[in-house]
Amino acid sequence: MKVSDVMIYDISAVFEDETVERAVNIMAGHVISGVPVVDEDMKVVGFITETDIMKASIPSYFSLLQSASFLPDTDQFMKNISKIRDHKVSEYMSKPPIVVKADSPLIYAADLMIRHNIKTIPVVDDENRLIGVVTKMGILKAALEGELK
Amino acid sequence: MKVLTVTLNPALDRIMFIENFQINKLHRVPSFDKSILSPGGKGVNVSVALAKLGIPSIATGFLGGYMGRILIEELRKVSNLITTNFVFIKDETRENIAIIDEENHTITEINSPGPKIEEIDLEHLIRRYTMSLSRVEVVVISGSIPESLTSDVYVELVKIAKEKGKTIFMETRDKHISVLYNKGVVPDFIKPDFRMEYSLLGKELKELDDFISQSRKLIDAGAKLAVLSYQIDKDIIVVKDGAWIIKPKVGVDISHVLGTGDTYTAAMVYRYLNGVGDALDIGRYGYVAALAKTKKARKDPPTLEEIEEFADKYVLERVI
Repeated sequence: MKVSDVMIYDISAVFEDETVERAVNIMAGHVISGVPVVDEDMKVVGFITETDIMKASIPSYFSLLQSASFLPDTDQFMKNISKIRDHKVSEYMSKPPIVVKADSPLIYAADLMIRHNIKTIPVVDDENRLIGVVTKMGILKAALEGELK
Repeated sequence: MKVLTVTLNPALDRIMFIENFQINKLHRVPSFDKSILSPGGKGVNVSVALAKLGIPSIATGFLGGYMGRILIEELRKVSNLITTNFVFIKDETRENIAIIDEENHTITEINSPGPKIEEIDLEHLIRRYTMSLSRVEVVVISGSIPESLTSDVYVELVKIAKEKGKTIFMETRDKHISVLYNKGVVPDFIKPDFRMEYSLLGKELKELDDFISQSRKLIDAGAKLAVLSYQIDKDIIVVKDGAWIIKPKVGVDISHVLGTGDTYTAAMVYRYLNGVGDALDIGRYGYVAALAKTKKARKDPPTLEEIEEFADKYVLERVI
């Protein structure tokens, strides 16, 4: 089975100079956890997730403590997120992005997801332009139907 | 990817089949298959019809809320030939209702006005639209505009597409076509939507001459074709070389006309992309496809084979 068999043919993306708020709006609208970042030629240059934005909005010691119970209140988080809402997504995105081709074996995409602990991978054409995304759920469905070969 | 369809005011369409439909009366839908939910809005419908003809397209526009999410999910189920690229907004996407009465051959449509579009969302749409244009040959801009926007949005979209040398197909109401005409940005293939008012470039259409003279103005302003619905099942096709009336050789069930306009546009795009024939032939092929659509009650566009069955089921008469 190939990536093209389960991918979502959606090219919703955020441009690298657009804001964090726009990225959050796209994720909220589509109910997804991350969105590809593209340049003006629609070439994928990064990927930004809700986790990237959360990490940028909480105090740096939080990730060391691994618990929200050490946060005295949510004020700091609110302040931080309102500070970065107008920042460019390019400041917080992961790059270089992990991408796959539509004709790649689906098992290859599954392997990438496991190795990099990601839920969504942008699918690109030969010129690295976004043509869709493949999600962990899409792969799981294929696996349940016994088609992940 | 060859086509970009733009639907500024998409809708989740609910079609109900109710025999002997009457107002002020309780009706029960007899079974689930008589109440159908489908993605709608003119541009979206064109993408669906194009997919049936094997043509890939990108569908763009505004979507919002629960309705918007259902719409996009349903659209993805239709075909992998449709790539979605919608801008999500705060307000809810509208729902349109059509009640088809096959007993009395009537169709009753109730269309909602649509959501409020923020300036920032419009900017984002235009940026994505401009970017998508580099990947297509044809742009289809169809349907209504949410009330918070003006016809100027169509002016801008057509202008950008023209600057990039794209061929533009448009089906919309005269109030938008008139603004485009007055601002000197006329699409290449124009199909006025007469469901709300029977006018073109601000003039009410009564006599055959009105149809032709108003269409002529669009041709003189740079359009390659204007096709106008005339006396229910006939159309008037106006191109640079003249004007024709096209009419069916077979009976048309008026309750089956839902979606014929979108099928018409999609078939014209198909013909244009295949490089077969001139503007008149493109219009003729659109009519044949629309005729083929009327054999189905549902908003289900015809296949190439079904269109072919109607290839000789029309009469074309030159009027000028």
